[in-house]
Amino acid sequence: MAIPYERRDDAALLAQPRVVRPRSGRYLAGVCAGVAEHLGLPVRWVRVATVALAFAGGAGIAAYIFLWVLTPAEGSGVVPEPARLGRGPLLGSMTPYAVPSPQPAPSPSPTPVPAPSPSQAAVTPVGERPARLLVLGALVVGLGVILGASKLGVDVRAGILLPILVIGAGAVIAWSQLDTAQRSRWIGGDQGARGMALARIGLGLVLAVIGLVILVTRGRSLTAVWDALLATAAVLLGAALIAAPWVIRLWSDLRAEQAATVRATERADIAAHLHDSVLQTLALIQRKAEDPHAVSQLARAQERELRAWLYAGPAGSDSTLAAALTAVAHDVEDEQGAAIDLVVTGDRPIESQGEALVRAFREALLNAVRHGRPPVTAYVEIGAAGVEAFVKDRGDGFDPETVPTDRLGVRESILGRMERHGGTARVRRLDEGTEIELTLPPLPVPATASSSDKEPS
Amino acid sequence: MTPIRVVLVDDHRMFRTGVKAELAELAGGSGPNAEGRQVLVVGESPDVDAAIATIATEKPDVVLLDVHLPGGRGNGGVDVLHGCAGLVSESGAPIRFLALSVSDAAEDVIAVIRAGARGYVTKTIGGTDLLTAIRRVADGDAVFSPRLAGFVLDAFGAAAGEIAEVDEELDRLSAREREVMRLIARGYQYKEVAKELFISIKTVETHVSSVLRKLQLSSRHELTAWAMGRRLL
Repeated sequence: MAIPYERRDDAALLAQPRVVRPRSGRYLAGVCAGVAEHLGLPVRWVRVATVALAFAGGAGIAAYIFLWVLTPAEGSGVVPEPARLGRGPLLGSMTPYAVPSPQPAPSPSPTPVPAPSPSQAAVTPVGERPARLLVLGALVVGLGVILGASKLGVDVRAGILLPILVIGAGAVIAWSQLDTAQRSRWIGGDQGARGMALARIGLGLVLAVIGLVILVTRGRSLTAVWDALLATAAVLLGAALIAAPWVIRLWSDLRAEQAATVRATERADIAAHLHDSVLQTLALIQRKAEDPHAVSQLARAQERELRAWLYAGPAGSDSTLAAALTAVAHDVEDEQGAAIDLVVTGDRPIESQGEALVRAFREALLNAVRHGRPPVTAYVEIGAAGVEAFVKDRGDGFDPETVPTDRLGVRESILGRMERHGGTARVRRLDEGTEIELTLPPLPVPATASSSDKEPS
Repeated sequence: MTPIRVVLVDDHRMFRTGVKAELAELAGGSGPNAEGRQVLVVGESPDVDAAIATIATEKPDVVLLDVHLPGGRGNGGVDVLHGCAGLVSESGAPIRFLALSVSDAAEDVIAVIRAGARGYVTKTIGGTDLLTAIRRVADGDAVFSPRLAGFVLDAFGAAAGEIAEVDEELDRLSAREREVMRLIARGYQYKEVAKELFISIKTVETHVSSVLRKLQLSSRHELTAWAMGRRLL
């Protein structure tokens, strides 16, 4: 859904490289390489620091996992080049941005750090805060884990690895939906996907809590669990507080993007429809400009199609008599390339009698179009007193008595058919043209015959 | 006989040009259409405000009015009708409006008719029929296309068998009006309707005008509900 003219890239924003995990030159997930590039340090230093931190109670591992989850891989979004840092590393622009309209600022945040309002962050190039907050958060969490563990005298090396992995798994599950690829699915916004997202967050939280509890209470008695829970809650709360402004902004950005996407989708739908229908027909008309018959046929068919699309078609479903008669008239128009002025009032469900009427009506229309002269008018009244259908043309008319017996059209398809189904058919010769009149008795159940007329459909 | 002075209001220049050429050819020649009053296009305008100004200065007999127009308060032809309320033509008769539209949407039809238009025809109408319609409207009669007649039958519940006991009843059609509407919906010309019902053309015109009055004045609930909830196709 990338519509180029709706995306706005600020040169100032592009100047700031965001943390991206490069595709090449990585050992594990490319976190160190990405951080090194972002901070302008040699990769080796970062790697050594990470490993050293990992031995210092697993902080390096925690930080590594957090950064892994929170930074996009290079080229994962539509925009391959580093985009604005102010958007937060995860917001590689997958969907088009409209102008940076003032969005609802995040509610007063409990963190001491003033939450950057989205518009601010989008305009000023100083929008590094969320990224810094993330790194800071990762460090704080890692630090908290180490401190808590060492205070309780837990064996740091082996005992810490498993819980941290559990926490990491929880975090990965919770955050994975914010991956750019998944985000678009989330924006797609059906309820199932959203429920899935919530389930993930819940699962991630549970895993994180379990991991932290295990981490803190290793080898301790149950009495220590309470303290451990408190500590865990404190750590989680701290993490939540740090993440809050970022999450709120992410949310409001998502809403704005969603609205933009919906608008763009509608626009694209209309454009696609016009392209497939009207533009094609116009092209055909230009090519057949010397054939007035074909041109009017094309124009008429296109007009009908566009009307049906704009006004969502005739009232009622295909299973009603009015809809069936309308469809038949359109068929004949398309087939014969002649305009039929059809007016239908009332409606009723279609049954075997109605089907017979529809077929006879088609024959009558064909007859009028082939042998009469335009304009061909058809009027159908479906009411309490039964169904009456009239097909009129302006031709010279014909005498039903003189129709040769081999012409089954009128005699068999119209007159005979209607009589077999309890209706009547009459051919009238007017001063100018011919009129065929078809009637059906009302439906046996009186209640259904006239009711559909009044219902707003 | 003085010619019928006509103002064309439509936002499509190509359409205005086409109608003008067609009317000039039909009414100016010596063909079968030459009898009857001639039609003279005295002005044209592309939007609501220009239309009201043009109509006020030209004082035409008939205005051919597109339903969807830019400008005004956004209601298109209805705004023109409201803006020209009370104006009279040069000959002192009220200015008559004939609505002309590509839209068959019932809410558009009912809106311009209730705002005072004397008739409603679709833009696919042939030149001869349009000329007849203009002459009829200029004489103060109403012009009903088959589609509008079908709409009236449906909206007044006449198709479902509701018939007024007295002709003056505003919310239902009389038996005779229903017959006339049915024949018009079937594609009959006024003279064919007259012959079919053994009445004079003048009587047919009276019935049609009476239906138009009911359409404009009726407070029948279904009329508005119908127009809102459904669109003619």
